[in-house]
Amino acid sequence: MKNTMHVKNPARKIALTIAVSATLAATPAFADETSCSPYTPLIKGQEDLVYVWTLGVKGVGDGSDKLVTVDVNPKSKTYGKIIHKLSLGGRGEVHHVGLSDDRRYLWGGALDSNKIYVFDIGTNPAKPKLTKTITDFVQKTGFVGPHSFIAMPGRMMITPLSNNKDHGGETGVVVYNNKGDYVAHHAMPKDGGGDGYGYDAAINPAKNVFLTSSFTGWNNYMMDLGKMVKDGEAMKRFGNTSVMWDMKTMKPLKVFQTPGAPLEVRWSWKAGDNWAVTTTALTSKIWVYKQDAKGEWQVKDVATIGDPAKIPLPVDISITADGRGMWINTFMDGTTRYWDMSDPMKPKETFTKQIGSQVNMVSQSFDGKRVYFTTSLLGNWDKKGKDDEQFLKMYNWDGKDLKLAFEIDFYKEKLGRAHHMKFQARDLSTLKPLDMASNLPALLAQKQ
Amino acid sequence: MGLPATSRLARLLIRGGLFFLGWLTVTAAPAAPIMDFVPPAAGSYKLERIQAATEGAVIDAKGKRRRLSEFTQGQVTLLAFMYSSCADPNGCPYALTVMHLVKDQLEKLPETRGRVRFVSLSFDPVRDTPRVLALYGGDHSGARQHLAWDFLTTRSRRELLPILHGFGQDVGVDIDKATGKPVGTYSHVLKVFLIDRQRMVREIYTTDYLLPAMVLNDIKTLLMEEGVRLR
Repeated sequence: MKNTMHVKNPARKIALTIAVSATLAATPAFADETSCSPYTPLIKGQEDLVYVWTLGVKGVGDGSDKLVTVDVNPKSKTYGKIIHKLSLGGRGEVHHVGLSDDRRYLWGGALDSNKIYVFDIGTNPAKPKLTKTITDFVQKTGFVGPHSFIAMPGRMMITPLSNNKDHGGETGVVVYNNKGDYVAHHAMPKDGGGDGYGYDAAINPAKNVFLTSSFTGWNNYMMDLGKMVKDGEAMKRFGNTSVMWDMKTMKPLKVFQTPGAPLEVRWSWKAGDNWAVTTTALTSKIWVYKQDAKGEWQVKDVATIGDPAKIPLPVDISITADGRGMWINTFMDGTTRYWDMSDPMKPKETFTKQIGSQVNMVSQSFDGKRVYFTTSLLGNWDKKGKDDEQFLKMYNWDGKDLKLAFEIDFYKEKLGRAHHMKFQARDLSTLKPLDMASNLPALLAQKQ
Repeated sequence: MGLPATSRLARLLIRGGLFFLGWLTVTAAPAAPIMDFVPPAAGSYKLERIQAATEGAVIDAKGKRRRLSEFTQGQVTLLAFMYSSCADPNGCPYALTVMHLVKDQLEKLPETRGRVRFVSLSFDPVRDTPRVLALYGGDHSGARQHLAWDFLTTRSRRELLPILHGFGQDVGVDIDKATGKPVGTYSHVLKVFLIDRQRMVREIYTTDYLLPAMVLNDIKTLLMEEGVRLR
């Protein structure tokens, strides 16, 4: 993909990239997006654009899945407005997106069609262009439902949800190179307590570990939610484990029991921290992974979110850049909850606000001052009727309250269901590395 | 890596040449990623075949036109894109530092002699002439070297761009906002490529992944795959 197979003259394409970069302003900055791969350069300032991966809905606009681009720079004349829509010409249950290792490409997956779309967001970030559609995912891997996209240098790690044998939850981890060619795949462990299920992943380069979580297979995520919760057998088919892998060798180091579908996983990027966090959708718990005194990874259930008896359904999370706080969305009550994570083993909920009748994804800027929310969970799991609100809302956060800055109704705009978000800068020369750096003496002292 | 840091740093500076010394005295030291783990042992893991190494026309430090494939096959190759005036501590200077550290270690392993090569290929065909690169890199090439290290450039951007494209190396020209003219620096994600004897890229490193101990073990892993017995 990168610099792309669909361009007949690659030299011209790169020349364009240079030309575009050269015409854009350079402004240093401060910010973060803590769900990005540690290998993806970050927007450490005001984000200019938000891409919203949007599910098409029959009868809404052209009914197709879309990549929607929103201008979110308050200094812009089109602030808070949609400035670009890219229709995919069909529906495939689009779900999550991920940025490449140079932030010039955005990969987006579809859980039903199993297609992976690669967009050029570097040549002109305000007008993403589809450069490749990967259609060999199932054929190459035997897996179904490409979910998370986590950049490694020169390649993309992809975590699918299911498989093409029984459409259940057993799955693996897949590697494609940046050109969009298949490289390798690894099965989720079924020994050592593993159930073989998969969902999200996050990398900690300082520890050389890759942490994966688990959800459910195609049979469930494509089923109507109301029907599924009444199906006792279906409700048994959710992942209850998470796995710590050696990132270099891609060998599982340890399987953790985290019952109730552990979803998004995030590492604290605060210097010196060695913990990650997830939440379990069905049991409504916060779990923290941390090394013990002997260096072995352990997991602990550290808090309860809402009233588990009411199944608030914790979905997306967003950790602050300093690891001191975390937003947790609960889908069923449409509420976002801010948790003080100063002591990750004893987190405390300090703020709640209802965002809508339903809320799924949450993304915050590096300084934590801007928080974005979208609504769709899955096409067949979203609420029905008037409760099926579909929007992008952006709030300013002053540490005490969320104040609405703008909102876009995705049904009024004839777009569909608003799902995953990623930020982008118009000037890629302003991007900065995560910077978990130490210094030269530390480099010289590195262990052999 | 058993030497005291100070003596190794001194050796590094000498071998890095005057340009590198000048850089280090006027800018911050390279920022190294934290490595809080013991890397897996060489040969205990498999490096995937990520992509084919790209072909292209290059110029060596003596000004001779060559094919890039002459430098990326037959030996295990560590290839980094760089430009001599890069002052980003997380960029080219950091890669140069790591390559020197790895080179030091390889020179302690007689079995690696003549089996590993380093290549530094410039982003800047205008200013990084063969003469500049010869000054920048010093003379590390040739049969007498334990490890050949070639500093290459290209005749023009037209010849450079397909190489960058093929490897998947991004680059942008930095512009002065006031004048609209290039300031002489390039924005790019630091990438270093480990290439096997058959010209397959087997590992790609960016700043937070470019750890000398890991690079050394990866090189050893590829050599062991070829049947080389290492101590």
